[in-house]
Amino acid sequence: MHAASTTMTIPVDWYVYLSATLFIIGAAGVLIRRNLFIILFSVELMMNAVNINLVGFSRFHENMIGQNFVVFTMVVAAAEAAVGLALATALYRNRRTLMVDLFTEMKG
Amino acid sequence: MALKVLFVFFAALVVAGGLFAITRRNMIHALLAVVFTFINIAAIYLLTQAYFLAVVQIVIYAGAIMVLFLFVLMFLNLRTFEQQRQTHTKQRWGAAILAVAVLAEFIFVLAGITFTSAKGGLTPEAIAAQGGQTRVFSDALFNQMLLPFEIASVVLLVAMIGAIILVKKEKAASLTLHEWGEGADSPESTVEEEV
Repeated sequence: MHAASTTMTIPVDWYVYLSATLFIIGAAGVLIRRNLFIILFSVELMMNAVNINLVGFSRFHENMIGQNFVVFTMVVAAAEAAVGLALATALYRNRRTLMVDLFTEMKG
Repeated sequence: MALKVLFVFFAALVVAGGLFAITRRNMIHALLAVVFTFINIAAIYLLTQAYFLAVVQIVIYAGAIMVLFLFVLMFLNLRTFEQQRQTHTKQRWGAAILAVAVLAEFIFVLAGITFTSAKGGLTPEAIAAQGGQTRVFSDALFNQMLLPFEIASVVLLVAMIGAIILVKKEKAASLTLHEWGEGADSPESTVEEEV
């Protein structure tokens, strides 16, 4: 009885709803905003939405692989932040702007 | 029951922080909203009994990654960006409608699904019997996930080298910087000159 009372009191659906909402907010941020830094923040929000899903399902399926995977997502997020910030710094140094629709050199 | 109330409370704060972050004109405000969101996500990890990840979320994500963003933001002249147009004129309404439609689609699909647990056996009682959450977590990380763990270190090394190379000033690059440096205060004019 004690075991039944402490296991999984939050339904896993709630994690998925929260994760979907946060992911959509991040995707909307990427699509709507012009500022390169806000777009990078939105990508971080989307990665955290994925992490919420992984942790919720890790608890639901009663194993640790999901929580381990969150560590790798954080590694990728750190790498993405480092390279993204380096790119943003290089772009700002050359162009004095951060608005992504002004970077049109690659347009054919 | 108390867990559910707390989950809804922190989930509402996560969503509010995310919405606040993508609607700010000031980049520092947006960054602080993102940090606020991350701290509330750490609270949700605590409610899920993922204690180690909750601490890592605050120390690494809110502490290290976002402060790295903050450092770089401090190098920029933030006031000029606040005065400029913040959204794409053509695609913003389409994107907003699309986001709401996709969210409605998610909720519609998820409402018809019932998830069944795989019953891996690591219940909170079993985890406590095996020596605690962090011990079980690291057992799985360094046994089953050892190869991905080593590959992750290579990913971080590549990212570090790539970041150094990207921001390093080259001789040719600094020449073009000087050519563009003067009279390029307003970004719009830079683009027009260049076109």
